[in-house]
Amino acid sequence: MYMEKEAALNVAKSSPHETSGQPIISIRNVGKTYANGSVVALSNASFDVQRGEFVVILGPSGAGKSTLLRCVNRLAEPTQGKIFLDGKEITENARELREVRRHIGMVFQHFNLVPRLSVLMNVLSGRLSYRSTWRSFFYSFTKEDRAIALECLEMVALGHKAFQRASTLSGGEQQRVAIARALAQKPTVILADEPVASLDPKIARQVLTYLKEVTHSLGISVICNLHQIDFAREYADRIVGLCDGEKIFDGKASELTDNILKKIYRLNAEDDSDASE
Amino acid sequence: MTPASSIGAAVADGLVREAAWRQRRIIKWVVITAICLFVLWLAAWRIGLNFVSMLRGLPHMADVFMRMVPPDFGYMERLIDPTIETIQIAVWGTLLAVIASAPLCLLAAHNTTPHPVIYSITRVFLNLLRSINELIYALILVSAVGLGPYPGVLAIALHATGMLAKFVAEEIEHVNRGPIEALQAAGAGRMQIILMGILPQVLPSLVGYILYRFDVSIRSATVLGLVGAGGLGFSLITTMKMFRYHETAASIVMIILLIMLADWISGRLQKRIL
Repeated sequence: MYMEKEAALNVAKSSPHETSGQPIISIRNVGKTYANGSVVALSNASFDVQRGEFVVILGPSGAGKSTLLRCVNRLAEPTQGKIFLDGKEITENARELREVRRHIGMVFQHFNLVPRLSVLMNVLSGRLSYRSTWRSFFYSFTKEDRAIALECLEMVALGHKAFQRASTLSGGEQQRVAIARALAQKPTVILADEPVASLDPKIARQVLTYLKEVTHSLGISVICNLHQIDFAREYADRIVGLCDGEKIFDGKASELTDNILKKIYRLNAEDDSDASE
Repeated sequence: MTPASSIGAAVADGLVREAAWRQRRIIKWVVITAICLFVLWLAAWRIGLNFVSMLRGLPHMADVFMRMVPPDFGYMERLIDPTIETIQIAVWGTLLAVIASAPLCLLAAHNTTPHPVIYSITRVFLNLLRSINELIYALILVSAVGLGPYPGVLAIALHATGMLAKFVAEEIEHVNRGPIEALQAAGAGRMQIILMGILPQVLPSLVGYILYRFDVSIRSATVLGLVGAGGLGFSLITTMKMFRYHETAASIVMIILLIMLADWISGRLQKRIL
């Protein structure tokens, strides 16, 4: 039932510009300067993300990856440039912020689940933007919402843990729950900010595989920050290289040569010891 | 690498500076201790606190104590009603405080307040509420609304509101930011974030504070009767004024039993809920 409703909504939304070439996200000259203009976190970044594309943003710590993602759902306000979601500018109007964020899921490095709530409740919190405040007062969700939440949990193979407290899950499982929470928003885009940085390599691969496969099957675009080169090569449809707040590479994983990597990670003669990963 | 000779020189220099630093520290502590001792002595002198008068008072204390034992256990039957009243005052005083502090704690936490000015005003208001003792509230309220348990309930509610709202507000401020940010990113509204992100995080300490406050309320309720605001304190003061010390002793025993009971109950609840 909800599927029909959603589908109808999507058609209504996308009909004015049906062209498949239209990027889902357009980032145009976006920059962010912190603290009275002294710290430039991001400058003049521009690139597009196509529907269903898995884009990895690669760069060392402090390159501005996190700032870039946060500008997209406006957890941080960009100080210059524009961002378009599905052809609509989202950097302008503060009133529609909740409406915009509904379409953009986010996955964090530290999972950011509410530890004392059940896994299901955490996933259900992805549905909050669709529901009124007074309803939330009673922690009551519609049958539709509960069905969506359970479906999303199944997609990350954690349906059997629905009624456990989130804090009882392992790190990898918690991140999968966080992915399910993002999916429950029925988003068009998922932003993943270093989603596997606090997981061991084996679990990290598992989590990234879930993220990639589920979003691929649903046609959701992903912008994923990573600092591990091998993961970026393995999972990205496209890689954007960021260094010191500037975009210095944008292309397929196969085009990412050692020379470009050296530029991204500033592997010059003097400071190669602390920049290598 | 630093040459060995210059390390030796640096160590020698360091030792000299360390000795000077140690000396400065010792002097600092001697001065602080001397000031503290002087202030304490001044206070003792001012309030006439000394060993001799304490010793001289001992026979009088023993006299009052002898007149109290044995407590009049027969009188305890007539204390049952005031005891129940004491508990009822504490329960309703605490409950009213919980209800009143629900909105106040949100206004008094910087991460949930709608405006910094409202935050400051609420903080000042809560501090005012808390700075006045229950007995003083009761004294004023008794003259305003008359004798009985009702002013007692209000007195406890006022003081408890100040305390609960402030403690819970502090708890809200120390909540983990991560889940809040995740809910923001998902497009949740302010109230939804409070309900789904903040409340579950502060719930254990919230319950702890309410139980602790109930414990304190019981203790306060036992003395409110001294100013005519109902409960066991009223029996305490009347028997004392009529020199029926055995009955006073019975009242004291009752108060002790009640407090032990409250302690036990809130301890059990705390263990079960958390």
